[in-house]
Amino acid sequence: MLALLKAVNVSKAFESGLIFKKHRLVLHDISLEIEEGRTLGLMGASGCGKTTLGMILGGLERPSSGCVFYRGIDIKKLRGDDYLAFRREVQMVFQEPEGSLNPRKSIERSIHEILGLLEIPKREWRNRTSEALEKVGLSEELLCRYPGQISGGQCQRVALSRVLLLNPKIMILDEPTSALDISVQAQILSLLKDLQRDMGLAYLIISHQPEVIMFMAHEEIVLEDGVIH
Amino acid sequence: MNDLQPTVPVNTPLLRIDRLSVSFETSLGRVKAVQEVRLDLHERETLALVGETGCGKSVVASAILRLLPKNASVQGKVIFAGRDLLSLSEKEMARIRGCDIAVIFQNPSLALNPIIKVAEQIAEPVQIHKGLSRHRAIPMAEDMLRRLGLRERTLSRMYPFQLSGGMNQRVMISTSLILSPKIIIADEPSKGLDLSLASQVTGELAKFRDEIGSSLLLITHDLLLAREVSRRIAVMYCGEIVETGNSGEIFDEPLHPYTKALLNCLPERGFQPISGSSPSMIYPPTGCRFYPRCQKRQKKCRERPEMVKRNGRDGGMSREVRCWLC
Repeated sequence: MLALLKAVNVSKAFESGLIFKKHRLVLHDISLEIEEGRTLGLMGASGCGKTTLGMILGGLERPSSGCVFYRGIDIKKLRGDDYLAFRREVQMVFQEPEGSLNPRKSIERSIHEILGLLEIPKREWRNRTSEALEKVGLSEELLCRYPGQISGGQCQRVALSRVLLLNPKIMILDEPTSALDISVQAQILSLLKDLQRDMGLAYLIISHQPEVIMFMAHEEIVLEDGVIH
Repeated sequence: MNDLQPTVPVNTPLLRIDRLSVSFETSLGRVKAVQEVRLDLHERETLALVGETGCGKSVVASAILRLLPKNASVQGKVIFAGRDLLSLSEKEMARIRGCDIAVIFQNPSLALNPIIKVAEQIAEPVQIHKGLSRHRAIPMAEDMLRRLGLRERTLSRMYPFQLSGGMNQRVMISTSLILSPKIIIADEPSKGLDLSLASQVTGELAKFRDEIGSSLLLITHDLLLAREVSRRIAVMYCGEIVETGNSGEIFDEPLHPYTKALLNCLPERGFQPISGSSPSMIYPPTGCRFYPRCQKRQKKCRERPEMVKRNGRDGGMSREVRCWLC
């Protein structure tokens, strides 16, 4: 099967210092593949480079060397509609659910923002918003509230509903439950499994919790000091 | 770590929380954060207060030390050394805070002052409460850091932003324990730390608790941490204590349907989510607060159940549960 997203010999170094430049290698020669409908677990201690790798795979960070391929095409060479399709189909969900939403926009406006970007006619917004909330198990009562007025678990569900509106093929989940307590963690993980079953999504799940990886992933890799073990 | 606990707590509790209720006046309505909470913390005992985020655990901690914001309305009693802390003057409370009862807050990066070196921050309580000079207090602070595993001398001269989350948490612990308080309230001490670091930090906290002979009120949503560190657990849901008992009993034979559902969320029990969502704290359910989500609910559950005592494994009435069905 053709890998949906593939990293080949990806390395990343960060530069620091104004006059005397220092280079710190955070990822070294990483190769991996994510297939359609499958979950790849990426595990490792804090600071080992997991998030940087997720950002590179999601196109939010450029590798210092190596390539990332989406549907067989190097993402550096994607242009126009192909690039937009990549950005739409490969989505990231971050650790801090409150940080994923604009605190000054109501939940309704945050969802409408995505519908506007997708150029969906306004008359359909109400139905599309209801559908999006239903998928993640939230009630419409929350629409008039602001991120600060709902719980962390509800914020993470709203963030997921925004991502799902874009009809993604791959979701890069960076510690999606580590800021949540155990009962909400169970709810979100079970929701992610249901979404994968219903929509055929592929996941890269990044976590420092081995039990989360074991529960979610079909295959897993361990990152230690920027190297796959 | 349970083995380090004294087996039988003495009868008179060191801290008694009696029918404590806290509510907050907000623009959306009155938030009933804590409802008639009763808890006893005995000498040299570790009691864990567990529950989901937003159930009112941290409000209990802040209410004990009277650190709540002005829009809070507090009722009930918090008896420490024969005195009700809620009726003391601010001056008397200031003497108790840090000296007799210390708190370790979650998120040390926010709790520490970013522009003061860590040793200075640890030494501050000694200077204020014991009247020692800076010259004598700083070596004591450095000694505390060493005992908590931060042995490099240069670390004490650093600022919080130059240290990692785990190091800052150790600085917080040092600041709280430097006066050997009788009670330590640790509010989510492992939050934001990764697994190995969390276990290290709580291990050090437990070791210190034993060294200075303090009682520990551990507030956490981490059930496994609660089991590891504490001898007794109180489970809180939507502002109420729903069950208390020895850690082993709570984990092996939970009585309240919420405790059972919460334990089923654990990884080793397959991350089984609790159906429904937490109720509003402004309009909480009138009867049992878990009633709307309970799989075993009956008509009677629409009335508020009282906390009733139940037999524990030791033969005494060491367990309490708030449920019509138990």
